[in-house]
Amino acid sequence: MRNLKTTYFEDLQLFKDGVHLFWSAVLILALFTLPFFVKTYYLTILNLMAVNVIVALGLNLLVGNTGQISLGHAGFVAIGAYTTVLLLKLGVPFIFAFVAAGVVSALFGILLGIPSLKLEGPYLAIATLAFGLAVTTLIGRMDFLGGRMGMNVPKLQIKWMGLKYDHALYYIILSITIIAVIAMRNILRSRIGRAFQAIRDSDIAAAAIGIHLTRYKLYSFGLSALFAGAAGSLWALYLGFINPTLFSFILSINFLVIIVLGGLGSITGSILGAVVLTYLNLQLENVVDIPLLGAALYKFSEVFMTTTGIANVSWVLTGFILILVVLYEPLGLYGLWLRTKIFWKRWPF
Amino acid sequence: MNKHTFFEVVQLNKSFGGLKAVNQLHFDVKEKEIFSIIGPNGAGKSTVFNCINGLYQPEEGQIKFKGEELIGKRPDQIAQAGIARTFQNLELFAHMTTLDNILLGRHKSMKASILATVGLSFKRSKAAKEELEHRRKVEEIIDFLELEAARDQFVSNLPYGKQKLVELGRALALEPDLLLLDEPAAGLTQEEREDMIFWIKDIRDLLGITVILIEHNMQMVQNISDRILAINFGTQITIGTPEEVLNHPEVIKAYLGEDLPSTL
Amino acid sequence: MLGQLIVSSLVVGSIYALMALAMSITYKASEVPNFSQGEMAMMSTYVTFVLLSSFGLSFYPAMLLTVGFAFLLGLILEFFFLRRAKNPTPLNLIVITIGFQLMLYGLAGWKWGSEQRQINLPFSESKVIVQNDVFALTELNLATLVIAFIVLLVIYLLIQKTKLGLAMKACQQNVNASKMNGISAYRIMAISFGISSIVGAIAGVLVAPLLTLDPSMMWDPLLKGFAAAVLGGMKSLHGVVIGGLLLGLIENLFGFYISIEFKSVVAFAIIVLVLYFKPSGLFDKHYVRKV
Ligand SMILES: Nc1ncnc2c1ncn2[C@@H]1O[C@H](COP(=O)(O)OP(=O)(O)OP(=O)(O)O)[C@@H](O)[C@H]1O
Ligand SMILES: [Mg+2]
Repeated sequence: MRNLKTTYFEDLQLFKDGVHLFWSAVLILALFTLPFFVKTYYLTILNLMAVNVIVALGLNLLVGNTGQISLGHAGFVAIGAYTTVLLLKLGVPFIFAFVAAGVVSALFGILLGIPSLKLEGPYLAIATLAFGLAVTTLIGRMDFLGGRMGMNVPKLQIKWMGLKYDHALYYIILSITIIAVIAMRNILRSRIGRAFQAIRDSDIAAAAIGIHLTRYKLYSFGLSALFAGAAGSLWALYLGFINPTLFSFILSINFLVIIVLGGLGSITGSILGAVVLTYLNLQLENVVDIPLLGAALYKFSEVFMTTTGIANVSWVLTGFILILVVLYEPLGLYGLWLRTKIFWKRWPF
Repeated sequence: MNKHTFFEVVQLNKSFGGLKAVNQLHFDVKEKEIFSIIGPNGAGKSTVFNCINGLYQPEEGQIKFKGEELIGKRPDQIAQAGIARTFQNLELFAHMTTLDNILLGRHKSMKASILATVGLSFKRSKAAKEELEHRRKVEEIIDFLELEAARDQFVSNLPYGKQKLVELGRALALEPDLLLLDEPAAGLTQEEREDMIFWIKDIRDLLGITVILIEHNMQMVQNISDRILAINFGTQITIGTPEEVLNHPEVIKAYLGEDLPSTL
Repeated sequence: MLGQLIVSSLVVGSIYALMALAMSITYKASEVPNFSQGEMAMMSTYVTFVLLSSFGLSFYPAMLLTVGFAFLLGLILEFFFLRRAKNPTPLNLIVITIGFQLMLYGLAGWKWGSEQRQINLPFSESKVIVQNDVFALTELNLATLVIAFIVLLVIYLLIQKTKLGLAMKACQQNVNASKMNGISAYRIMAISFGISSIVGAIAGVLVAPLLTLDPSMMWDPLLKGFAAAVLGGMKSLHGVVIGGLLLGLIENLFGFYISIEFKSVVAFAIIVLVLYFKPSGLFDKHYVRKV
C-alpha cells in the first residue's frame, strides 16, 4: 500500500525518509574520509569513476530521457578539457575555467543540436559521430592547442590547510560530482525533465500540450554537453596531460556502454554503470592477474588464440555483457538493483 | 469576443499526394457547444483535427480561433492559444506515471527555468512552490476523473479505458477553451462509454469548455451533441441538429457503404 | 588530373557503396543500423587470409568459403542475438550490434592482432593495366570496379526479380502481415543479415590489400559506408550506392584540391548539411507518423 502523503513536497525532497537520509550520509562521509585510509592509486580510480559518472549523467539525459542518440560525446568532453587547459595556461583561476568549460561545451551542444533537430535513429547517429570526429581532427590541427602532440595541464595552486595535491583534487572532483548528481536529479523531476521524457515517449503529444520541441531538444543537447564539458575539465586536471587521441570514437562508445549497462533514463543507473564499467575496464586490462580465471584464460590463449593478444579479452567480455544486459535486463544494473531491493523487502517470505 | 465567432473553419483543403483528405470544408463552432464530426472511415475527420492543432499544414483555407488565425502556427503555439486535444490511437507518455502524464498538461502554465529547477528539492525554492501549486490542480483532475488508483502507475500498465481517461485528464490539465476529442469512446466497454458521456457533459457544463468531438457511436453522438457535421471524402454532407443530420438520406447512404456503425 | 581523380573516386566510392549497400539491406529489413557490419567484414577478411596463407588455397575457392562464412556470421548475429530481444527499442538493437562489434573486434585481436599481416590477392595493387591520357588503373582498381559492379547487379536482381527478394520486400513492409502470408519473417530477416554480411565481406577483401590486415581495418570503410548510406537515404538501394560514389568523389576532390587532412571531416560536414535539408537522405522519403 502507498503511504498516505502528508504533503506533496515529500515527492520532491532529496531523501524520501530517515533511512534513506542515513545511508546517503554514511556513504558521503565514507567517501570524504577515504583519502586518510587508502593509497593514492585508489583515489585515482575513484576520480576516473566520478568523471565518468558526470558524463554518464549528461549522456543519459540525452539518450535515456530525451530519446536522442549521441555517438560523439567524447567531443564534448574534449571541448571541456581543452577549454580548461587553455584558460588555466592564460592564468585564469580554475573555478572560472571550469565554468567556462561547461558553458563552451553547452554552446557546442546547441550548435550540434540545430542540424540534428529533425534527425532520428541512424541519421542522428551519423551527425553526432561526425561531430566527435570533427572535434578531434580540428584540435589535432591547431597548434595553440598542442596539435597532435597534446599539452600538459598546469597544476592548480591549492593551499588548503596543508592538503596534499592528490587529496585536494579528489575532494574537488567528489564535491562537483555530488552537486552534479543532485542538480540532475532535480532537473529530471521538474517540468523541464518531464518535458524531455515527453518528447522521448511521443513528440507529437508533447507538441500538442505546448512543449516547444525545438527549444527543448536544444536544451537537452546543451545540458548534456554541459555535463560532458564539466567532466572533461576535471578529467584534464587529474590526467595532467591531454591529446586528441584520448577523445576518440571508442571513448564515445564507452560512454554509451556505461549508460546502457547502468540503466537508460536512470540516475542511479548512470552512477552504477560508470562505477562498475570503470572498475571492470581496469580489472580486464590485466586479465591474466585475476586469480584462477587469469591462468585458465592464459592456457586457453596458448592453445587456441595468442597470449600476446590476451588483453583483447576485455573487448569480448564488454561486448558480451552489453548484449546480455539488453537481452535480459533492459533496465541494466539499475533494474538489478530494483529487483534486489524488492527481494530483500520480501525476504524471507 | 462578440465581434467574431468563437471558432471557425473556412474553406479548408488538405491533400496527401493525389488524395483530397479534406475538401472545401467550412463550419463554425459556438462557445460552450458540443459539436460532433461524423463520417465513415477515412472520411478525413482526424485530418481536420490535425490541421486545427498544427500537425498538418493545409494548402488552403483559414482556421480562426477567437478571431486569431491558427494556420502557420506550431502545435505548441496552438496549445498556448487554448486548444487541447486527445488522439484516436492514444499518444500517451507511456514510460511515465499517470501523475506525470497529467502534470505534463500543466507544463505550459509553469514558468520555472532550467536554472530554477536545479533548486527543486528545497522547499523554499520557487521551482518547488510552483510545482506544488500545479500538483494541487492535477490532484483535482485525478479526483474528477476518479484516477486515484492509477496515480502512481506507469500508464502503459493501465487498462485501455483508464489510458483514455489519462489522456483526457492531460488535455484538461491544459485548462483549454476548446477541447478536441478524437473518438474518446472507441474501444471502451458499454459502462465506460456511459461514464465518458457523463464526463464530457460535465466538462462542458461545469468547466465551461467547448468540445469538438469525433465519434463513430451514433447513440453517443445523438445523446451528447448540440450540432453535428457529417463528412465523406473530405467534403461536407450536411450540418445541423442531431435529428436533421442522422436522418439525412446521404448520411445514411454513406454509412451503409461500409460496416454499419452501432445503432444507427 | 581531374580524370584520374574521378576514376580513383569511383574505385574508393565503390567500396563505400558496397558497405553502404550492406548497411541498407539489413536496415530495410530490421530498421537496425548494424554497427558490427565493419567487424563482420574484417572477420571474413581474416578468414580469406587464413585460407590463402595457412591453408594454401587459391583465391576463388577461398572466396567461396569466405562467402559461406560471412553468411553464417550474419545468421549468427540475427539468430542468437537480435532475435532474442523482447520488445526492443531501436536503441536496444543498435546496442546489441555494438556489443557484437566489440566481441568480434576482441576476438580478432586475441587471435591475430599481435602481428601486422598482408593479404595477397591475385590482383596486383601496383601493376597498371589500363593507361591512357586521362587516367591509369591498376589491376586491383579494375578488379574492385568490376567485382563491385557485379555484386551490385546481383543484389539488384536478387531483390527485384526473385521470390526471395519479393519476400524480403513483403517482410519489410509488414512483419505481421507477411507472417500471415506464410512467409516466416524471421527466416527472411536472418537471410537478409547473411546476404548483407556477404556484401560487406567482399568489400573487406577488396580494401584489405590497401591497408594492413588489422582488427580495426574496417572502421574507416564502415563509417564512410554508413555515412554514404545516410547520405543516399538508408532505405533506398540505389540511393545508398549513389551516396557511396558521391562520398568517394567529395572526399577525393576535396582531399586533392584543398586539404587531405580534413577530407573526412568535410565529407561528414557535407552529409550533416544535406541531412539538415533532407532529414532522411537524398533518395528516401521522410516518414511522418500518422495519428
Ligand atoms: N499523414 C498522412 N499521409 C498520407 N495520407 C494520410 C495521412 N493522414 C491521413 N491520410 C489519409 O487521409 C484520409 C483521411 O484520413 P483520416 O485519418 O483523417 O480519416 P478519419 O476520418 O479520421 O478515419 P477514421 O474513422 O478511420 O479515423 C485517409 O485516406 C488517410 O489514409
Ligand atoms: Mg480518425
